[in-house]
Amino acid sequence: MSISRIFVANRGEIALRVLRTAKEMGLETVLGVSEADRDGLPAQMADRAVVLGPSQATKSYLNADLVLHAARATGCDALHPGYGFLSEKPDLARRCAEEGITFIGPRPETIEAMGDKLSAIAVARAAEVATVPGTDMIDTAGDAAGAAEELGYPVVMKASAGGGGKGMFLARSADGLASAFTRASREAEAAFGDGRLYMERFVEQARHVEVQIIGDGEGNVLHFGDRDCSVQRRYQKLIEEAPVTAMPAALQERLHDAAVRLCAHAKYRGAGTVEFLYDIAREDFYFIEVNSRIQVEHPVTEEITGVDLIRHQILAASGAGLQLTQDQIKVEGHALEARINAEDAENGFSPAPGRITGWEPPITPGIRLDSHIRPGDLVPPFYDSMVGKLITRGKTRDDAIEAMLRAIHDFRIEGIKTTLPFAARIIDHPDFRSNRITTRWLEDRVLPALETA
Amino acid sequence: MTLKQTDIEALVQLFGESDWKEMHLTLGDEEMFLSKDPNAAGPATAVAAPPAPVAGPASPPDRAAPPPPSGGGVETAAAADRTGWVAIKAPNLGTFYRAPSPEADPYVTLGGQVTEETEVCLVEVMKLFTTIRAGMTGIVREIVAEDGEMVEFGATLMWIEPEV
Repeated sequence: MSISRIFVANRGEIALRVLRTAKEMGLETVLGVSEADRDGLPAQMADRAVVLGPSQATKSYLNADLVLHAARATGCDALHPGYGFLSEKPDLARRCAEEGITFIGPRPETIEAMGDKLSAIAVARAAEVATVPGTDMIDTAGDAAGAAEELGYPVVMKASAGGGGKGMFLARSADGLASAFTRASREAEAAFGDGRLYMERFVEQARHVEVQIIGDGEGNVLHFGDRDCSVQRRYQKLIEEAPVTAMPAALQERLHDAAVRLCAHAKYRGAGTVEFLYDIAREDFYFIEVNSRIQVEHPVTEEITGVDLIRHQILAASGAGLQLTQDQIKVEGHALEARINAEDAENGFSPAPGRITGWEPPITPGIRLDSHIRPGDLVPPFYDSMVGKLITRGKTRDDAIEAMLRAIHDFRIEGIKTTLPFAARIIDHPDFRSNRITTRWLEDRVLPALETA
Repeated sequence: MTLKQTDIEALVQLFGESDWKEMHLTLGDEEMFLSKDPNAAGPATAVAAPPAPVAGPASPPDRAAPPPPSGGGVETAAAADRTGWVAIKAPNLGTFYRAPSPEADPYVTLGGQVTEETEVCLVEVMKLFTTIRAGMTGIVREIVAEDGEMVEFGATLMWIEPEV
């Protein structure tokens, strides 16, 4: 199976990113756009752009019928879904196969298995990858005490029928356990009519770490090192970096092994990310989920490995195999990425679409900007607020930090508000510089301070 | 009173989801003009009811445009002065069909009379066929799109001269 013409089913910077590599590989490109994006840079860069539908995503980018029809009618033999939109819809992958179009992503069954939390955890367990330690149903306070000893405190009691934080109680020691059990059971009974409980180890101080992998679909899997994405607001990543530096090296190796083992077990095809929770206090990690697509933050990995991940993603999908061996993948230096969102950080991160009147990126060498924006462009209000990603690298983490601060300082954007000034504040924060942050850090420490300032 | 960013966003959103073609809003000395026609000249034309003589189709001028009028299957009445004609546009990307089935006669032919309810063509997306109606009383003056070809969202399929 070979590929000669790719349909890009996405917009913005990732559309441009895919087009760039596709062109370098000598492939023809067709881009499906909405009306709002018909004159955008990606539409100009593609060999051909077709307007799928009006601006609303549901009538354009999210409409699999339109995307498939356009791909077929323009003679494409492959489809790149980017991230977001239809990228993790098993149905699209399946229908591509039916139409004889190579879906540049995992097999539909893999997307399905990874998309469901419980089935993904089952895959992890089958591959002997650790998940957050927990119990089955617990019937009595006495059983709870025994289980908590085994898991180690603190533990959290959760309602079996639960959700939304109801019926969840934390116990820090054996003293508080009996009462936590009683209260949790009572609340679960009241809220869900079902008082059954289970228990999980509570990770108080966690970092979000992840491993980039590419698989050939036959059980061979390469990893491209790790990333740390602990700076989050409402589970949205704001700053990403590679490699992870807040973990003992031996543990990091085990992390990579776990990711490779899991994906090999799933006979994973294409690019994917295995996400883990890193328990700082216990120095242990637990599997969270697999993202079966290329991710927003893939450039930090490209910067430290020198590998074009999109290229290898396309190769893997085309059946060309991995084209690399693990020992050819070397991690060098440190890279940081700041997402540039058209949002007003001082006003609750409210979206701030509009006309970009000035856009002058820094011209310092070594700075990478992944963006589809040109001066005078309109940021439409219909989609995600991200207008680009600024990526810097350095020999060390400190070097990358300094480079990022300079780059943000030299970046002139006019007409819209973006999160870049806020990103500079985060990166310049003593806690970030000394790398003493957790996934709760931004929301618990930085944002409240911002509001009272 | 001034328009806040959030107001503008909300208006753009509402407008985008509406069936309206244009919106012109004046608030004190602030003015806002929204149009779904990329060739819209601005607020001044917003009042004029019949569409301006359109220089080209709504799609980008180059490869994305439907086949030029000189193409074999395209029916056209002379080098048209389309003043007063109204374009029927594709509601989404799809394949344009002039007839309900390959054996059947086309829905309409050049010079044919249509009323609001007259079916003029089909646009098919992955085997789902949408019937397009004339939406006006008038005469078919030009059939731009080619039978069986892909058309993009907003592409002009045919021109109707409305009866006044």
